[in-house]
Amino acid sequence: MSKLSFRARALDAAKPLPIYRGKDMPDLNDCVSINRAVPQMPTGMEKEEESEHHLQRAISAQQVFREKKESMVIPVPEAESNVNYYNRLYKGEFKQPKQFIHIQPFNLDNEQPDYDMDSEDETLLNRLNRKMEIKPLQFEIMVDRLEKASSSQLVTLQEAKLLLNEDDYLIKAVYDYWVRKRKNCRGPSLIPQIKQEKRDGSTNNDPYVAFRRRTEKMQTRKNRKNDEASYEKMLKLRREFSRAITILEMIKRREKTKRELLHLTLEVVEKRYHLGDYGGEILNEVKLNRPEKEMSTTPSSLHNGNHHKVQECKVKHPHHSSLKEEVSDVVRQKKKYLKKPKIECVVTPQQPSAEPLPVINKSDIKQYDFHSSDEDEFPQVPSPVSETEEENDPDGPCAFRRRAGCQYYAPRLDQTNSSYENSELAELDKLRFRHCLTTLTIPRRCIGFARRRIGRGGRVIMDRISTEHDPVLRQIDPEMLNSSSSSSQTLDFSSNFSRTNASNKHCENRLSLSEILSNIRSCRLQCFQPRLLNLQDSDNEECTSRKTGQTVNNKRVSAASVALLNTSKNGISVTGGITEEQFQTHQQQLVQMQRQQLAQLQQKQQSQHSSQQTHPKAQSSSTSDCMSKTLDSASAHFAASAVVSAPAPSRSEVTKEQNTSHNNINGVVQPSGTSRTLYSTNMALSSSPGISAVQLVRTVGHTTTNHLIPALCTSSPQTLPMNNSCLTNTVHLNNVSVVSPVNVHINTRTSAPSPTALKLATVAASIDRVPKVTPSSAISSIARENHEPERLGLNGIAETTVAMEVT
Amino acid sequence: MAEGMDVSEGCRLPVLRRNQDNEDEWPLAEILSVKDISGRKLFYVHYIDFNKRLDEWVTQERLDLQRVQGPRKEAKTPTKNGLPGSRPGSPDRDTKRKLEVVSPATPVPAATETSPASVFPQDSQDSSDGAPQAPRMTGSLVSDRSHDDIVTRMKNIECIELGRHRLKPWYFSPYPQELTALPVLYLCEFCLKYGHSLRCLQRHLTKCDLRHPPGNEIYRKGTISFFEIDGRKNKSYSQNLCLLAKCFLDHKTLYYDTDPFLFYVMTEYDCKGFHIVYFSKEKESTEDYNVACILTLPPYQRRGYGKLLIEFSYELSKVEGKTGTPEKPLSDLGLLSYRSYWSQTILEILMGLKAEGGERPQITINEISEITSIKKEDVISTLQYLNLINYYKGQYILTLSEDIVEGHERAMLKRLLRIDAKCLHFTPKDWSKRGKW
Repeated sequence: MSKLSFRARALDAAKPLPIYRGKDMPDLNDCVSINRAVPQMPTGMEKEEESEHHLQRAISAQQVFREKKESMVIPVPEAESNVNYYNRLYKGEFKQPKQFIHIQPFNLDNEQPDYDMDSEDETLLNRLNRKMEIKPLQFEIMVDRLEKASSSQLVTLQEAKLLLNEDDYLIKAVYDYWVRKRKNCRGPSLIPQIKQEKRDGSTNNDPYVAFRRRTEKMQTRKNRKNDEASYEKMLKLRREFSRAITILEMIKRREKTKRELLHLTLEVVEKRYHLGDYGGEILNEVKLNRPEKEMSTTPSSLHNGNHHKVQECKVKHPHHSSLKEEVSDVVRQKKKYLKKPKIECVVTPQQPSAEPLPVINKSDIKQYDFHSSDEDEFPQVPSPVSETEEENDPDGPCAFRRRAGCQYYAPRLDQTNSSYENSELAELDKLRFRHCLTTLTIPRRCIGFARRRIGRGGRVIMDRISTEHDPVLRQIDPEMLNSSSSSSQTLDFSSNFSRTNASNKHCENRLSLSEILSNIRSCRLQCFQPRLLNLQDSDNEECTSRKTGQTVNNKRVSAASVALLNTSKNGISVTGGITEEQFQTHQQQLVQMQRQQLAQLQQKQQSQHSSQQTHPKAQSSSTSDCMSKTLDSASAHFAASAVVSAPAPSRSEVTKEQNTSHNNINGVVQPSGTSRTLYSTNMALSSSPGISAVQLVRTVGHTTTNHLIPALCTSSPQTLPMNNSCLTNTVHLNNVSVVSPVNVHINTRTSAPSPTALKLATVAASIDRVPKVTPSSAISSIARENHEPERLGLNGIAETTVAMEVT
Repeated sequence: MAEGMDVSEGCRLPVLRRNQDNEDEWPLAEILSVKDISGRKLFYVHYIDFNKRLDEWVTQERLDLQRVQGPRKEAKTPTKNGLPGSRPGSPDRDTKRKLEVVSPATPVPAATETSPASVFPQDSQDSSDGAPQAPRMTGSLVSDRSHDDIVTRMKNIECIELGRHRLKPWYFSPYPQELTALPVLYLCEFCLKYGHSLRCLQRHLTKCDLRHPPGNEIYRKGTISFFEIDGRKNKSYSQNLCLLAKCFLDHKTLYYDTDPFLFYVMTEYDCKGFHIVYFSKEKESTEDYNVACILTLPPYQRRGYGKLLIEFSYELSKVEGKTGTPEKPLSDLGLLSYRSYWSQTILEILMGLKAEGGERPQITINEISEITSIKKEDVISTLQYLNLINYYKGQYILTLSEDIVEGHERAMLKRLLRIDAKCLHFTPKDWSKRGKW
């Protein structure tokens, strides 16, 4: 017993217990009582039931005998298993299937009535059967329906008649019987049912209420984490389901419409048959009378229209009526495009000499469309275009109408996609939507700030906006623009601040100085003529203009002047938001750049003369592209040079279209489009990047530094949004100084690697596109080069740009 | 009659009862209810310290009116409404319940009512005066006072006809109230739908083509099959099953719906179909319970089916890789059955252990638990109950005495029905991951 003084250790479930059996068993007297160490486990029974006689007896019996004794069994109420009619009741046999029984969950409810007839009902049935035939199941169905239709309030006979699809007399008989029986019924229903809970909680303790719903949240200790996730999943599921519902509804509508159409067709055929119109003559007559309607029916698919946009844009520019101001424009401040250049560009490419005639545009429409579509792709991305299209339902002569028998292609997704791939590029699109000082070619006049959109069918829509500068702008004579005065001049001239979008309609012909001034103010330089000389001066002004432009941008006062310059050579400067710091740095850079550009330009001018048209176009496009995509001026230079160089011989032809496109691009706002074109060309042509860059620069110079600059500027603003504020700043700078922008870009690149890299990348992208546009091999080569850097990555791009600068 | 007047609800007195050995006894009983049928008084008596399933209606002749104890502790009657639980020092609800058993319900059902059915609602209303408290949402067994309702303490169904069997319910079951006055409640053997007359059942059978429980068969060996029924997907069957089960399970609650439960119904096949022999009810996702309710219908009791059912529940747990334990409280029969199963299962393992390399065989409690899926606590309690654990020479040992071994071997000879794990086709579902049941 002394061992008892030791406290036995607690029983450890993880500790092996040796098992002793039979003769090995130690004398239990040696064993220590373990009552303390091993706590008595509860039986799990209710206490008072544990003490029940029969249980205790059974337990003790088991402990004594180690097995149950008959007499020690707990007594239970008797059960009999002698229902002698069982076999009659349960008829038939059931063969056990070989397979395991698997039941389909929703297979169970066969439409059998829940009500079961009793002998009382049988009496009635027998009585009724004397007069008419009624089967038990029929009767049960009737009662079942009556029961289920009535709650505490019984169904009226009228309602019963609606419920039951039977003979009136039968209904009456059954109904009366049912009402009587129901009234005598003790329960709430003839179909016995478990009592339902009531919401007021009065039934909480009613023992006859069972199977209450678990309204309270089940305690899910272990599942708590899942709950949240599953809740969200449920939400998501719900959303998706509702979406599915919407889709289904739309499908429903569509199918209905289809059916209608079918019916109508059928009707038409019938009518024709009656009229004897077997040859379809009458039908054709009728059809001819209503072409317009068909047009209206054509889906307002945005993309489809894009191809045509450019053409129409050009055409439309002259029509002021089509110009609309959009409130939405203000909202989308970032999206501004320069529409000006396009028209002119179109014209110019074909005919360098001169004036971008709408007629020309028409002829080239398809080609232009192509380019324009490229350009437009960016704007398409944002998709506001489409909206606007719808809003401005074209009227009058410019209205786009589908021509019977003419196939319209779907939007070219490939290009758009490529543009999108660069998120930066996508942002560039936004810039396009800026309002710019715009000059129209045909009624040669400045229409103030406007932005170009491409509407359905490729019509170009000018959204005009009223600005403070309007009075000044009105005074601008497009002819003033024509003067091939360098941008610097314009800048000086309009020292106010407004920069002119000197959109050189044909080459450098027209630059409206006042416009330039206004543009300067707004930091959007749109028009320019190829003069690199004024760089420094312009820089200063640019600074101011940049600031203003920045503010403007911030305010989102879309005082962007869209210069619709037909001049292929002239680039249009677009305003972009730039920070002052950037601006300054850019200025310096720009100065350098300008100088370089000048040199290049001079060199190139010679060559350009031949392909002036193409060059300017290319330049503008390239510059604009470069600018827009990448803030870097270098890229712009490259692009420009590439354009210029490439165009030389073949450009005249190829460039026509391209030029036109470029010209459109002139707005610089549109650089994206040009860039795309360049891109395509790049694809085709492989050239050394450095060369291309040089070429670009040269071209810029040829056309006019101004042009280049504006293009750069315009492009830059686009890029600016893309890149952060810094980038935007640089863009502004570029814009301000026509020549300088390039320098600025370069500087920025060198100085700030990361932003520059971005810019470069964007530029490269734009450049690539440009080459695509330009048919000329040189351009394409340049473009390729540009492309390569892009592919390589930002670094690669930067390198390429640097090379370009050097050149 | 004067004496009869004295005997009211709550009185205690010896009542004549015939025991299993056909001997007359006069155990003390409590009058729970009195009713008057055509001038004859009937008393519903609960024999103290006997299970409620033996409660019955007795005539006045069986009462020993000489030894009537008046309703005890009148003051305690309000406890009926569930307030006494806070008695200090008492292991709460157990004491509470005890008190309430002792002190009958205050609400006196209109004793003169001829229809017992009409008696009940008043009762239930009265009893709901106390702070209405919904029972816990988990589990299917009730251990709180909602069970103390006088209504639920009395059997309300006289007889149930199920297939070829006539069952005398043991406890209250919330079948539709209008059916409780019937001498016999007719159930469809296969879908368990209730009808109030044989004719109804006949009519029903013309429309019901079910011949097996409406679930998936997950086990079959010989004539024994198990079906799994989802309480959410198959509500009407699950509810009917619960109503029937409640007739034989005192602590079962039908308060809430059957959604969170799976029902495993064991059937015995014959040419008429799969007769529901047993059913157990099992629930997923709770505190280690692998069984919520388990029941062998009375006609099939004492044939080893109960143990088979338990074994099956542990087989499922093995597949799930968990240990499990039955939900509490256990009934007396439940305790005996489980103890018997645990004992046999554990002894089987212990005796199967062979000495290795001269070493005495040994095993940990955890190992036993893992092998058998019996929860550790149940293993310990069984070892304790069998008195196998001893403390010897500074460590615990398990001793298998001769009589234990013999008793076990004898018992195993009788245990012919076993679950064959190979016949089980069961893939556990992770209910926790699919949200709520």
